[in-house]
Amino acid sequence: MKNPFSLFLEDYGTLIPDFQEYLVDLKQPLPLYYRINTLKTDLERAKGLLKRQGLQFRKTCFRELIRVKDQDSDSPLLSYHLGHIYPQALSSCLPVYALSPKGGEQVLDLCAAPGGKTTHMAQLMDDSGLIMANDRKLGRLTALMANIKRMGITNTIVTQSRGEHYKADFKFHKVLLDAPCSGIGRYRLDRQGRIRHMRPGKTDLPAIQKALITRAFDLLRPGGVLVYSTCTLNVEENEAVIHYLLQKRPAEVTSWQPPVPWSPGITEFKGKKYEKGVGLARRFYPHKIHSVGFFLARIAKC
Amino acid sequence: MEPEFFEPFYIYAFNRQAFLFRKQPEKILLPERSFVRCGLPFVRLVAGYLKPTTVFLQRFAETASRNIISLKWQDIITLCTVGEIVLSDDVLEQSGIEAPGYVIINTLGYALGAGLLLDGSRLLCRFPKAMKQALPRISKI
Repeated sequence: MKNPFSLFLEDYGTLIPDFQEYLVDLKQPLPLYYRINTLKTDLERAKGLLKRQGLQFRKTCFRELIRVKDQDSDSPLLSYHLGHIYPQALSSCLPVYALSPKGGEQVLDLCAAPGGKTTHMAQLMDDSGLIMANDRKLGRLTALMANIKRMGITNTIVTQSRGEHYKADFKFHKVLLDAPCSGIGRYRLDRQGRIRHMRPGKTDLPAIQKALITRAFDLLRPGGVLVYSTCTLNVEENEAVIHYLLQKRPAEVTSWQPPVPWSPGITEFKGKKYEKGVGLARRFYPHKIHSVGFFLARIAKC
Repeated sequence: MEPEFFEPFYIYAFNRQAFLFRKQPEKILLPERSFVRCGLPFVRLVAGYLKPTTVFLQRFAETASRNIISLKWQDIITLCTVGEIVLSDDVLEQSGIEAPGYVIINTLGYALGAGLLLDGSRLLCRFPKAMKQALPRISKI
């Protein structure tokens, strides 16, 4: 019996640009990135301390994100224990920049753990306004709270609730839904060609994602912005979910110009046609951005 | 720290710990039975003393003007491995600290966390366990 990834490769061979390059890239380890926490230090000072610790790195398209070239993996970093850095994939910065939270706004992070995007949003908001960081599982909340603490953030409330049932008494300017997904964008192949980072399970993820996106949209104020993102390349978990929302709610996918190479959302797949607006979503392939494969859509509440 | 420092925050206490939470312009309605935590842990009540948390000091200690002890990196390693050090007269004099209690420990221009000063010159390490174990393993600084 074929594993889900083999089936994925069969389905997407013609859709992924430079497919052979993608297959080669899967055998390379993912590069390591650190986000500098500008709430606790400034960029130049943080970089100076990292250099002092022997870390070699280079700039990325995001000013607070650095790509590590060489690190002695046995030696801990003082910068980490000071809360100056957060290991975060380049693609994980994309939904935060697409949402573009500003100081003073009220923002909901519906599936927040372990907190990379939450703490990044707090940083862009200069630790002002409000972030509600929610997750369903207590175990994951522990990591979320530890990261919020380590980064020294004061504007965040942590809640534990099923995202699909999150109570809608309070409406937000912006909502980030980094939905649970199959994680295909994260896959790597080991030397034997076996998949690493594969998440087993028989959960009906698209059903959960559709319930989550509808609730996330309902939690927005009129004129508010929702960013839906996943680290999978699977159309059923991405474009089909956006299509579902566009049919159920007065939502509009808005264009966003990412600072890295991207492809438009897929509007036709396996005989199914999706709403035109789905094409304004963005796909990020691992071999094009040298990070985790990602999908995101920026949605406005009309 | 000056009292004005605390103006932009609500301070609330929960379970022998006080938290700083950014003031909000409007009332916040939380989803029922879902609240876990809010804000940054700021001080903790330990044996009758208020101990500032490591995360608070690392973020805000630069606004503090008193009870700061600056140590060399080698002293930090000793503090972490042994658990305490005896401060020299020079260091004590420079810090200007006279009473026992919690102090801010600085090195290389960064606040690392808190220490407990006892008997005039004994400084006890009060860093989190993970940090206490990691710092002596740092090979280059």
